[in-house]
Amino acid sequence: MPRAIRGVLIECDPSIKSIIVNIDSKNHDFIIEDLDEERVVVKENMVGELKRRLEDRLKENLPPVEESGSE
Amino acid sequence: MSVSNMPALQLREYLERLPGTTFRKLYQQPSTAFAIFRRMLPHLAKTFVMRMLFMPAPMLLADLDLWVKPDAKKQKDQALFILQALHIVHISPPSREKPQEMQLTTNFKNSMRRALTGGGTHNSFGVPSTLVVPPEIDIPFLDRYARKKWEDILHFVVSSVGFKSAGEVSGPNKSVKELLIAGRLVERRPNGSIGITQTGFTFLLQEANAQVWTLLLLWLEAMETNKMAGLEAVDMLSFLFVLASMELGRAYDTNALTEQRRNMLPSLVDFGLIHVPHHKRSMFFPTRLATTLTSSGNSLRSISEGVAAATSAAFNGTSSSGGPPGHGPLKSSTELKGSVVVETNYRLYAYTQSTLQIAVLALFSKLNMRFPDMVAGRLTRASIRQAIQFGITADQIISYLAAHAHEQMHRTAALTNKPILPPTVVDQIRLWQLENERMKTTGGFLFKDFEDQKEYLAVAQFAEEVGVLVWRNDKTGMFFASRHEQIRDLLRNRKKAE
Repeated sequence: MPRAIRGVLIECDPSIKSIIVNIDSKNHDFIIEDLDEERVVVKENMVGELKRRLEDRLKENLPPVEESGSE
Repeated sequence: MSVSNMPALQLREYLERLPGTTFRKLYQQPSTAFAIFRRMLPHLAKTFVMRMLFMPAPMLLADLDLWVKPDAKKQKDQALFILQALHIVHISPPSREKPQEMQLTTNFKNSMRRALTGGGTHNSFGVPSTLVVPPEIDIPFLDRYARKKWEDILHFVVSSVGFKSAGEVSGPNKSVKELLIAGRLVERRPNGSIGITQTGFTFLLQEANAQVWTLLLLWLEAMETNKMAGLEAVDMLSFLFVLASMELGRAYDTNALTEQRRNMLPSLVDFGLIHVPHHKRSMFFPTRLATTLTSSGNSLRSISEGVAAATSAAFNGTSSSGGPPGHGPLKSSTELKGSVVVETNYRLYAYTQSTLQIAVLALFSKLNMRFPDMVAGRLTRASIRQAIQFGITADQIISYLAAHAHEQMHRTAALTNKPILPPTVVDQIRLWQLENERMKTTGGFLFKDFEDQKEYLAVAQFAEEVGVLVWRNDKTGMFFASRHEQIRDLLRNRKKAE
């Protein structure tokens, strides 16, 4: 019998995807199904949290560029 | 982003959640059946309904294929899905003994026939008042009145953003404010002030008609949880459809309404959907906000035009000409003189006094100077980022800026044969969005564990045909669909057929 699982499909670059997999690897509480290089299905209620953690990771690696130019 | 929600869709989502019994009650009224037919159905579905309307007996589902060209199967399936979801068409369940039959549901059929052919004393399209109409109430008056009311509501939603205009705006009624808070368009901040939410921004950028429906649906939901008011959502909804079928500029009799509906009038006055003259309480006038509630779905304006319409109301509030009837609740953007100048160095100037427009600009730019009739600011990475976090997309910002570009921008663009907005700025806004949107998310359902490849292919194919398929991988036998109802039905039917 086929199954239907509620979730959110995330499509992104392979680099971002690897970070997502890495975030998930701690407790395995985000990813429902790892589809391919650029796609994962994630639990619906965890998307917000995932976005936040991803943002944190990215901030660690590349600090946002300071605004330049006069007002 | 959820900004693309069209009003028809929102109303449809609400309707689709209602049980069949509610629909039976709704369709008792010719005006409701007619309004839903007019507004909610795609053309093909309308054709089906019209063809079946006067059929004496149910027709075979298989015969429908004769009406539709084979290459339009997708549209046919979609039309049937909507007709079933809105309980307009009933299709008998598949069985081995009898072929599947389809027919219009009884109440819908009867009401639709009455709406088209007339007859009966259902008063479902409103009872005109026999009293003398006060001469000062004409269409321009009603338009001014509705615009003022609606503007007050919009002002209240944006009032938390940047520029306040204390004393200038009276603000909507308390009940409306509470509704906006309950609907999470605005929220109370810990310090007691009112702040706008992401839903609120989306609301703000919607086309006016969509805004009205958003608010009305919030109202219906609030009433359902608060039964004390003695109002029943089904009847309220039918009354809204009655209002929508009324004629602008005409007085209607309050006494012909049931008590329940009379109780709705004060709230409708608060929203600006109707006007009740002070000295003649026994009549009411529907405003353009009410009579365009069920205007056909394809006359909807884009989001930027929606904002334009909303802001133009504030912008030329004094010169109201009314506009041709059926032209949307508020003025269209063509009547609005552009006021925004964007330079290649990301600076932005807007020649405006409208607090509403300034507030909208403050959503995505960093305003740092305000003069009596002008504001100046900059588009920055941070300001665009903030806007995107609120749920506004780069394309919305760009189309807003383009729609509101100052005359001078148009002139220069025409002279040098270049686009209106500086391409560097447009590209940069898009890049800023990409930077912030590292992943694309789609809610829905993952289908897997099919018995065999054959079943998988058939179901995936079906999902593609009805337009819900987002992604498929034939190798692993999995696919992702945005909705599951149709697929669930298909799987059930397949199982029965086995």
